[in-house]
Amino acid sequence: MIALKLVPHLVAFFGMATVALRGATRRGMLAGTALAGFLVGTGFAVVSTGSVSGQFSFSLVRALLALSFLLFCAVSFTALYQSLGGSLPVGWLERLSSRPVSRSCALFLASAAAGAVAGCRLGPAVPSWVWGALAAAAAVLVLAAVLLESRLPAGLSTSRAGYLALTVAFLLFSASWSTRLDLFAPLTMKVMKFTHDFVHQFFESMLIPDHLFIHSYLWGYIGLLFGKEVGFWGGLIIWFTPVVMVFLAIGLERLPSVAHLRQGAQRRRVLAEAIRTRRMRLVLPGLALVLLASAVYRSLYPSVEYWDPKPVPVTANAGGEIFLPRKGEIDLMDGKLHKYVFERGGKTARFFVLLTPSGKLTVDLDACAICKPDGYGQAEGTVLCYYCKTLIPLETVGKPGGCNPVPVPFTEQDDGIHLSGVTLINTWSGTVQSTTRTTEKGK
Amino acid sequence: MAVATIETSGLTRSYGEICALKPIDLSVPEGEWLSVMGHSGSGKSTLMNLVGGLDRPTAGALVVGGQDLSTLTEDGLARFRREYVGIIFQQHHLVPYLSALENVMLSQYFHSVPDEAEARHALERVGLGHRLKNRPGELSGGEQQRVCIARAIINSPKLLLGDEPTGNLDHKSTLMVMELLKELRAEERFTVVMVTHNEEVAAWGDRTIYLTDGVLVREERTRS
Ligand SMILES: Nc1ncnc2c1ncn2[C@@H]1O[C@H](COP(=O)(O)OP(=O)(O)OP(=O)(O)O)[C@@H](O)[C@H]1O
Ligand SMILES: [Mg+2]
Repeated sequence: MIALKLVPHLVAFFGMATVALRGATRRGMLAGTALAGFLVGTGFAVVSTGSVSGQFSFSLVRALLALSFLLFCAVSFTALYQSLGGSLPVGWLERLSSRPVSRSCALFLASAAAGAVAGCRLGPAVPSWVWGALAAAAAVLVLAAVLLESRLPAGLSTSRAGYLALTVAFLLFSASWSTRLDLFAPLTMKVMKFTHDFVHQFFESMLIPDHLFIHSYLWGYIGLLFGKEVGFWGGLIIWFTPVVMVFLAIGLERLPSVAHLRQGAQRRRVLAEAIRTRRMRLVLPGLALVLLASAVYRSLYPSVEYWDPKPVPVTANAGGEIFLPRKGEIDLMDGKLHKYVFERGGKTARFFVLLTPSGKLTVDLDACAICKPDGYGQAEGTVLCYYCKTLIPLETVGKPGGCNPVPVPFTEQDDGIHLSGVTLINTWSGTVQSTTRTTEKGK
Repeated sequence: MAVATIETSGLTRSYGEICALKPIDLSVPEGEWLSVMGHSGSGKSTLMNLVGGLDRPTAGALVVGGQDLSTLTEDGLARFRREYVGIIFQQHHLVPYLSALENVMLSQYFHSVPDEAEARHALERVGLGHRLKNRPGELSGGEQQRVCIARAIINSPKLLLGDEPTGNLDHKSTLMVMELLKELRAEERFTVVMVTHNEEVAAWGDRTIYLTDGVLVREERTRS
């Protein structure tokens, strides 16, 4: 099960390592660097998800991925600009990046990111032998990458931007298998929010002062800008623009000058060879395109396993107190979401108990303060609001606000959890009434 | 002493029982114009096909332009044909629905990339600058054969093979084609091997060999 979960990440790492060795001189050293980076990355993920905070390591890895994407954007833009004949004062940067040591550093960072993605995916509650197996698998894959790379046709190379495209694509592909590391979904949200804010700022300030002719139907178009579609399509454009720029940059690369060749046939032969080489240089960026597309698909249709427990009915004792034993029929400490339903005086309330990654139990309503009370499911390090599909990291469950489940006061003792039935019902009624009212008002 | 463009020893080609080419030893120096004569069925075309890389020998050594053709792979042989040989047949083998210009450009395409200006120039050199857009059906036999020459030389072959290129032409057209080939050879310095039934045509060459039933029976130097 765990092994299966890791397959895409290992494949991505394998691909990345293979790409990194292309056209390199000291392959052995680079292979070692890739392996070391991967292990450091996984190690980091183990330590930080286990000790500091899972939330922190996820954010850090995501930030790293976002940075690599931005770097990729910058590089692809530069590449396109240069092949259009523009010149940028980046000569020193190019010299720096073509140094073997820079290459090693970049590979180390990329492998570390790949390792951290795999590590985050596993989470802290994993026996140490799994980490060992992961390390061994990575070592084998690096060896396989060395072997595969030496067997690839020599013509299968690409521009520096192309190699970066493929490396970043492998990383994003790997990340897309974890709903919490996926970069595409947050990108669409950002685009949506940006458009929203922009439209507000721009149109409201500029156009609201009534204009007789445009006013009415312009709003029809502006309405389009607020839809979910905008985020998706805008995100898609941003997602694919850099790799398309790499394509264009390679496609526009100058063919060698053949003016000095006297014989027509020889001129044409040189040109044909150059065109063939240039076409081959598009293959690897093409693979990057496929990887990015599959990352989008993953993001839209994540294959997470949902834990969707049925609420277990509970009753209160004579003192009106609900008691849930720590280790009864149900093991509260297993890290899974445990749902209960309580009824009193014709009113029912659903709530759940969950062990957060920090090792504390939390009791919350199976509802939040803003959505219809459709409840929550659990998925890979998060709980998911069934109504608005928001993923809430386990670390923040138990804290109020937004679409977080509403916390319920309780006392934790050695034997288990005690909470007041009355408080529970009242919290539920308060929450659900207010959300129902808001929803109706919103319509 | 010029380098040998074609060097065969014990070259043999048999079709089952029929031995079309008995072991032949032949050496053609670079830049020579060799005429090949012999009665019908004597193995002239068979020899041409072998030398042009269109066919493989059953036995013997065959080295053309420094390459041992019997050891080349199919791909290698195709590249050899593409880059080393130009061939003109009696039947012109032009693509009927393409214009003269396009027929020449097709040959460029298979070689590397098409270059219209160069193709036009080649047709102008064979005196067809005014018939670029005509299809083979709209050209006379002599004109068609000149398109074939343009097509054969467009990729600057080192070896030009002709299998009775003037077989279908009248005396005047034949003279025109031969004159043209002579001019082109002076400029491009390719080696020519040309099969013919016509003594007069054979006399355009430096040397003539005679085949009978697959055997090289006689050779003679022509002086011109
Ligand atoms: N593909 C084949 N299969 C069987 N026999 C063949 C094949 N090609 C040629 N031959 C035979 O090989 C012999 C030589 O043929 P080739 O075509 O070389 O003659 P040629 O000298 O070119 O004759 P022509 O002047 O009529 O063109 C002939 O007897 C012919 O029948
Ligand atoms: Mg013949």
